[in-house]
Amino acid sequence: MRRVLLVLAGIAIFAVLWEGYKLVGSPDGTVIFGVRVLPRADDLSMPHLWTIAERLGRPEIAGGRPVGLVVLQACAFTFGITAVGFVIGALVGLVLAVVMQRFRLAERGLLPYVILSQTVPLVALAPLVAGWSGNLSFGPYPWQDWMTVSLIAAYLAFFPVAVGMLRGLQSPAASGVELMRSYAAGWWRTLVKLRFPAALPYLFPALRLAGAAAVVGAVVGEISTGTRGGVGRLIIEYAREATSDPAKVYTAMLGAALLGLVVAGTVGLLEIPLMRHRRHVEVVTL
Amino acid sequence: MSDAVVVDKVTKVFNQGRPDEVVALSDVDLVVPSGSLISLIGPSGCGKSTLLRLIGDLITPTSGTVSVAGKDADTARRQQEYGIAFQQAGLFEWRTVVRNVELPLELRGMSRADRRSRALEMLSLVGLSDFAGHYPAQLSGGMQQRVAIARALAVQPPLLLMDEPFGALDEMTRERLQSELLGICAKTGTSTVFVTHSISEAVFLSNRVVVMSPRPGRIVTAVDVDLPVRDDTVRQSEKYFEYVTAVRRALRGVPQKSPL
Repeated sequence: MRRVLLVLAGIAIFAVLWEGYKLVGSPDGTVIFGVRVLPRADDLSMPHLWTIAERLGRPEIAGGRPVGLVVLQACAFTFGITAVGFVIGALVGLVLAVVMQRFRLAERGLLPYVILSQTVPLVALAPLVAGWSGNLSFGPYPWQDWMTVSLIAAYLAFFPVAVGMLRGLQSPAASGVELMRSYAAGWWRTLVKLRFPAALPYLFPALRLAGAAAVVGAVVGEISTGTRGGVGRLIIEYAREATSDPAKVYTAMLGAALLGLVVAGTVGLLEIPLMRHRRHVEVVTL
Repeated sequence: MSDAVVVDKVTKVFNQGRPDEVVALSDVDLVVPSGSLISLIGPSGCGKSTLLRLIGDLITPTSGTVSVAGKDADTARRQQEYGIAFQQAGLFEWRTVVRNVELPLELRGMSRADRRSRALEMLSLVGLSDFAGHYPAQLSGGMQQRVAIARALAVQPPLLLMDEPFGALDEMTRERLQSELLGICAKTGTSTVFVTHSISEAVFLSNRVVVMSPRPGRIVTAVDVDLPVRDDTVRQSEKYFEYVTAVRRALRGVPQKSPL
């Protein structure tokens, strides 16, 4: 109940800021020494919120389906791509972290490349991936465009998981490791019983980051590979109509934001059954 | 009956051959008879924890041999001949109290029902039956330490290794746990090696107090403690204070008669 109120309050504050700025801001924006420090407040740049809301209900093109529905469908499509990319990325990240924890040499050899991988600009990478994967096929199933986008999403998503999980796997105190040794537990059982559970508090924030990164990867991937059907593509399409129909592009952005929230929420749900012990904090003193 | 622990001419050197080489233990002999409680006492850096870890096969000696229950230390560890408790309780915070105690049983492949009943039995031994379902973070330090002791006892090991298990506790809790430990050991016939830096604790608990000195770590002397009973009244007795004085003298390296 309280959370619902907080969310509503957040939305209300945003609406007040948006409309408030439109009310007091200059329609041409504020320019200091040739640099625009505040955006234009005219209806073309910042349509009224109710215009955007109303635009959601009207058809995309004359006689077409309502924009709201189109955006939702595009979001569902991108959500699928994001989910596949997120799962692949998370798995790759987990495996990398376990390998790096197991072998010190692997940590020293791999970690720099893991970090380096994230400094490659995504926009440059996306067409390359599309080019490489064009000839691939899984037996009778040819490579699909959306797989390229998922791959790009996975490429962004694996990084926080690999780094966070490595940190988590290394987090148990020496006494815990010694305890497992005293039980004659080998590397695998120490991983399962000690390192993995101990890594969970590190894993969940990493997964949240990975979720957000996967959304960015999917949206940017769609745009730069020209994949149709997703919300990334929709943003580009609607942006072309921004001069004649400014509210339309905002509906697509609203969709992308919603997608991000849904992904973050879904990742957050994973946490609930696994982090039960974190919820009880009252200390009994006897 | 063979001795619980036999340490024979053990030397432990860390980082051998490197500039940061440290001789932690030098030529140490120690025998722990079955069913007895031996304390290792000495200033920090005297290698008492190292000796305990050698007995537990958490580290291996540079030279010399360690045998536990007549087997070499590695075999004894693999057969879980001992239970261990550290200064920090070291409970797994994601497991409830009872599941923490179950951990060693789980790793032994005991069935779910068996290990649950054994764990509950151990918890009642340390007086924490009511807290089986709690998480460690919900318990005070003393209670956590009792859980750690229950966990160490769960496999009903013939040998208990304790590394300053009460070091982080307040005096009152500490004294109560000392009495509880003695009760448990008497009931189960467990042999114990107990590392401490508290003289009174060592005297109260032990059949024999082994005094160590640092750099390099070695055993200076051993004081046999023969108290008629070990309850709270004995802490006030003259005999008890005599033993405390004897251990203190040994620790200061003051011989009974000064040569100077």
